Amino acid sequence: MDIFQAILIALFVYLGSIGSIIGNTLGWYNLGRPLVASFVVGLILGNVPLALELGLLLQLAYLGSVTPGGAMAWDLSYASYIGIAGALVFGSTFDTAQSFVWLFAGIGGAIGVAMWNLSYALNIFLNRIAQKGADEGNPKKMFLANVVGGQTIGFVLRFVPALVVLLSISATGGTNLAEYIPAWLTTGLSVFGGMMAALGMGILLSFLVKKKIHFAVFMLGFVLIAYFGSMITMLGVAVIAAIIAFVYYTMNDKKAGAL
Amino acid sequence: MAEKKISKKSLTKAWWIWFFWHGCSQQAESMLGMAFAHTMTPVIDDLYGDSKEETSAALKRHLTLFNTEQQVGAICPGIACALEEQRANGGVNDETISAIKVALIGPTSAIGDSLWVATIIPILLTIAMAITRSAGDFGWLGPVLYMVAYPLGTLFLSNYLFRLGYRSGLDSIGKFMESGKLDLITEALTILGLVVVGALTASFVSVPFPVQIKSIEGGNVLVNFDALINSIFPKLLPLALTLVVYRLVGKKKWSPLAVMGLIAILAAVLTALGYIFGVY
Repeated sequence: MDIFQAILIALFVYLGSIGSIIGNTLGWYNLGRPLVASFVVGLILGNVPLALELGLLLQLAYLGSVTPGGAMAWDLSYASYIGIAGALVFGSTFDTAQSFVWLFAGIGGAIGVAMWNLSYALNIFLNRIAQKGADEGNPKKMFLANVVGGQTIGFVLRFVPALVVLLSISATGGTNLAEYIPAWLTTGLSVFGGMMAALGMGILLSFLVKKKIHFAVFMLGFVLIAYFGSMITMLGVAVIAAIIAFVYYTMNDKKAGAL
Repeated sequence: MAEKKISKKSLTKAWWIWFFWHGCSQQAESMLGMAFAHTMTPVIDDLYGDSKEETSAALKRHLTLFNTEQQVGAICPGIACALEEQRANGGVNDETISAIKVALIGPTSAIGDSLWVATIIPILLTIAMAITRSAGDFGWLGPVLYMVAYPLGTLFLSNYLFRLGYRSGLDSIGKFMESGKLDLITEALTILGLVVVGALTASFVSVPFPVQIKSIEGGNVLVNFDALINSIFPKLLPLALTLVVYRLVGKKKWSPLAVMGLIAILAAVLTALGYIFGVY
């Protein structure tokens, strides 16, 4: 990873963070998702297939990670970009890279939450600018406070720390760190990684399951892969799911129309 | 006196400001207050541009504390535009506008978080992951599809809701929630999501049970418990772990971080078992 690549990735950390200049639709809920982030990092560092495998790992674990009411448990943008970039620098195969992805995602996520809390406090000063603008009856100061002020703080708190971390990763990247990691730790992290996918799935279930019958619907998808996984792909199951959902919708829609 | 009206251009401008800059200056004091006031500036210019006092008062009205899920919540600035237009023509008073804005916070946050953020996004992502997982060399299609479908769909939704808010004012919230269509769409999407989540669980969650019994002489593996469990019910342990996580998060209200700690401990124990029984 050279300086140019590090700058580019740090820029995406900023764009994908919550409340960046491109808005949450394009940023936090798009560039900030691990699957998208892994694709972007893969393109920048020139290893899309490995990046995507790592992205799937993180995306599964953090699938249920949503931010109701702005309460941040984990900064996904920081965790994803730093995690995958670090893993790609230190590991060239999936087995070595996946031990590093958790380490660096942890570091990135923790810094991210600290920066979010800092911006949440620092932005309060911008209210003074906005209030002054309101007193003067000057709408232009809203832009100054909301965008210029808010994004100066946002950019400094996201881009700069991310760049520092990425450059440190880059600087130590020459050493073969994988050699120093004992085999039991790699094995343990791989076990941990496989189990972490249950976190995302479990949280997601807590959003989706509202009636008992929903468990049966969930089990349908599970059994299709568990028993017939050698015959059907994930995409095939998704198509079946879409057909069932469509049939359900059409049948009940007609009922509503008849009543 | 001519009736005051917000120009189409200003409405569009207000929506774009909201779409891109709704989260630029979130803070503990007024949350989205500055973003909301900023969104209202083109409208305020139209309605009160000729009076410094009125402009000042309008800006102060909208700098107050506000929060919502910002994508579905685009309906809120839409409604505020309608209310300001009515106020400029002597329809509603300042207190009403503030009270309505406060009242909008709860329901729009709830709908936005539960329907859009917690349902649509994970479902789209699971479909994207399914594509990446099964498309081999074309794995990049998954994220690319998400990067096109999600922002574009949300852009249209946000614009539609903003305009609905302006057109129907307060009635729009009722219209949006009462139409049975919303419930039906949510239920259909939930079914789609649940099947895919089930498949993802079977496909990605792995929980080994590295315990085996070897014969004393020769060291042949007599019983491999992992294989035994999977021959009775394939991927039983991943299913069990997922349901346990669901129970801990959904019913016992554990935080994700606490669950992560539990998983780390379990992983350590299983790894240790693997070394003790000589599987690893």
